Amino acid sequence: MIEFFGAIADPAVFATVLRVMTPLLLAALGVLISDRAGVLNIGMEGIMLSGALIGVLVSAATANPFLGLFAALIGGGLLGALMAFFINGLGTQFIITGIALNMAALAATTLGLFLATGDKGMSGALKSGVLPNLDIPLLGGVPILGPLLSGHHMLTYLAILAVPAVAIMLARTPFGLHIRAVGSDPKAAAAAGISRNRVQLYTLTLSGVFGGAAGAYLSMGYVSWFAQNMTAGRGFIALAAEVMGMGTAWGTFAAAAVLGIAETVAITMQTKGLPSELMQMIPYIVPAVMLTVYAARRQAKARKIS
Amino acid sequence: MSNSPHLAEGPIVSFRGVSKTYPNGTVALTDASFDIRRGSIHAICGENGAGKSTLMKILFGLESPSAGQVLIDGAAVDTATPDFAGKHGIGMVHQHFSLVPILTVTENIILGHEPRRSIFIDRSKARRQVVELTQRFDLAVDPDARTDTLSVAAQQKVEILKALSRDTRLLILDEPTAVLSPPEIEELFNRLRDLCAAGMTILFISHKLHEVRALAETVTVLRAGRVVGTTPLAEVDDTTITRMVMGRDVDVPRRQRQRTDAPVVLELDRVSTRSRDPADRIEDISLSIRADEIVGIAGVDGSGQRGLVGVLSGLMHPASGSVRLADADMSRAAAPDWRKAGLAYLPADRYARGGTAALSLADNAIAGTDGDKALQWGPFLRRGAIRKRVQQMIADYAVRAGGTGERLDSLSGGNAQKLIAARELAGSPKLLIADQPTRGVDVAAAALLHGRIDLAARDGAAVLLITADLDELLRLADRVLVLFNGKIVADLQNHAGLTPAALGPYMLGLETAA
Repeated sequence: MIEFFGAIADPAVFATVLRVMTPLLLAALGVLISDRAGVLNIGMEGIMLSGALIGVLVSAATANPFLGLFAALIGGGLLGALMAFFINGLGTQFIITGIALNMAALAATTLGLFLATGDKGMSGALKSGVLPNLDIPLLGGVPILGPLLSGHHMLTYLAILAVPAVAIMLARTPFGLHIRAVGSDPKAAAAAGISRNRVQLYTLTLSGVFGGAAGAYLSMGYVSWFAQNMTAGRGFIALAAEVMGMGTAWGTFAAAAVLGIAETVAITMQTKGLPSELMQMIPYIVPAVMLTVYAARRQAKARKIS
Repeated sequence: MSNSPHLAEGPIVSFRGVSKTYPNGTVALTDASFDIRRGSIHAICGENGAGKSTLMKILFGLESPSAGQVLIDGAAVDTATPDFAGKHGIGMVHQHFSLVPILTVTENIILGHEPRRSIFIDRSKARRQVVELTQRFDLAVDPDARTDTLSVAAQQKVEILKALSRDTRLLILDEPTAVLSPPEIEELFNRLRDLCAAGMTILFISHKLHEVRALAETVTVLRAGRVVGTTPLAEVDDTTITRMVMGRDVDVPRRQRQRTDAPVVLELDRVSTRSRDPADRIEDISLSIRADEIVGIAGVDGSGQRGLVGVLSGLMHPASGSVRLADADMSRAAAPDWRKAGLAYLPADRYARGGTAALSLADNAIAGTDGDKALQWGPFLRRGAIRKRVQQMIADYAVRAGGTGERLDSLSGGNAQKLIAARELAGSPKLLIADQPTRGVDVAAAALLHGRIDLAARDGAAVLLITADLDELLRLADRVLVLFNGKIVADLQNHAGLTPAALGPYMLGLETAA
């Protein structure tokens, strides 16, 4: 146990945890926002993947990684809005819509990559930029804390700042109140003059923006290229993180941190000779176990009430 | 919202020849005209389907009339405009609450018109507004409580506060007492009287005549979409109002019962259910039905009919009391047990419970016959045999259908009901529950269904007929029970002199004869 905390306090390990958890946290917050309005964004995986490719392509074309990020945010938002149009405008079922988006995004990003580079695997031939790490002035000089907290990727800081922002948005703003009302009881919300379709359009768009940011982080931070299917299921792990977070921003943050630590453990264990496949199961087993525990607890509580 | 003093003298709302026909052809309102006096408590009375809800939806801006005008403060208005009700100070307390369960009382009340400070909700101002509302109208609720932790009566207070929160001057309450206990009703009425004394106009929709009399000054009676009359309550007695609600007396031919000494098939002894929904709640019900006997249940919708049907079909279990079918205890029996014991059931909702809309006529017609060797060969269905049997059913019941492969929802309501009746009445059921068997059905189909229900009784079934159509009730039933608030308030032998008007006082809760 001491060894574990010692390892976490090691700046290198801590940085790995943050690196792994950043895309999960961004995506999970995106899932949270739309889920509270009553649509679980199953398409998060596809939105992330699209954001990752758009970021690389635009940053390579403009030689400006910030324009790449901006394009990834816009692209993600548009995909979210498209989902809202399908679900509420055309009446498709949201799970099917999300799965369709994921499959279409996998094919479309591969095609896009091939058209841009002539390669279906990786974007190594493109000179795409990377978003910068931020050294925090003053804090950087503080012993112990300085190396732990300073010098991380800008989207890591953004993801962590987004946690209180989303929490406050949900709890303290009229929009947040409308989201909770629509997600809990659309009929009652309609009686108060709040349109479910409009609220879900805005939340899915916002959810898509978060997904775009998560994708941009993968291809312009985590690594500096785009690879086919590079999200590798992170969009689904983000769904699990949101569910584990019990529908709150801080809970989602805690869940993303737990999953980040689990994946870091998996990565470090690989270097110690354990089969990598075994360790790669960890990020998937942890949510399964935790969700089982939650479900059991909730049922126990329900029994106690009745 | 301020009015010139001249106009403030006239009625607050006038309906002028308002009609409403829905796109599917249903006529909900015909030429309705009446005034609502400013500062009065005005009741609207009528049976289910009389047009009360449609009228309120029009006044609340949820629907627009097909013809006629609504005048507010003497000026014609277009009700189907966004935020119509809010702009004209009309608040409505819905029969089914429109509160978001996970929000606090304050959040529910401000929802849709939140006080803001920059981009945030001004929470202290919101709370102050709510506290001020609770004090001004003397409706005490905890502004910080989560709504789903409150009692039904407290939730209704929140509904009323919500309806009053926007400079409301006309408050509509749709059947507000259905979910309340007698002391809670008394308290609600006191609050409403206070509101009225403070200048509020109140529109009170109810089918309980003693409540209308206790609260309102004026009543408008609707029947079959028409205004029968608007009159000050002081000037009419209960008999007159009852006759206005129920309509003229038309005598109908009665069913001739063959045997009165047949064995008792169904017996309920002091059966009660527990539920929050009054439609599911029955209290201390004892009844027995013999073979070759049709017992009709009369009562305003939501008086416990659904609870009674639930208990008699295994969908609900009684909280106390016992149920026996042909001498077997069925108190804890599940739906399949009831079926095995000989239940046939014509549900009120024929596409949701009676059949599966998207499946074919053949599939619907053979539902529940699993294990029938004539239709099955091992695990496989004998399609040919099925088609033949279903074609026979279609011919016997004169179902107008293209073929056995058609979807159930391609049939009209009457034909779908005939097919379901053909299925249910095949074999010889011991107990038949017919819940609104001819609602929305054309005259010819209704006559055929009446004949088949009578025939099932002659063949030895005990029949429970639940219907809002009193002509149908008097035509078929040997005995009439009236349900009110989940209790049997009248147990009457059907005879030539029994009229809908005679049932009225029981249905409206004015008299008991159990």
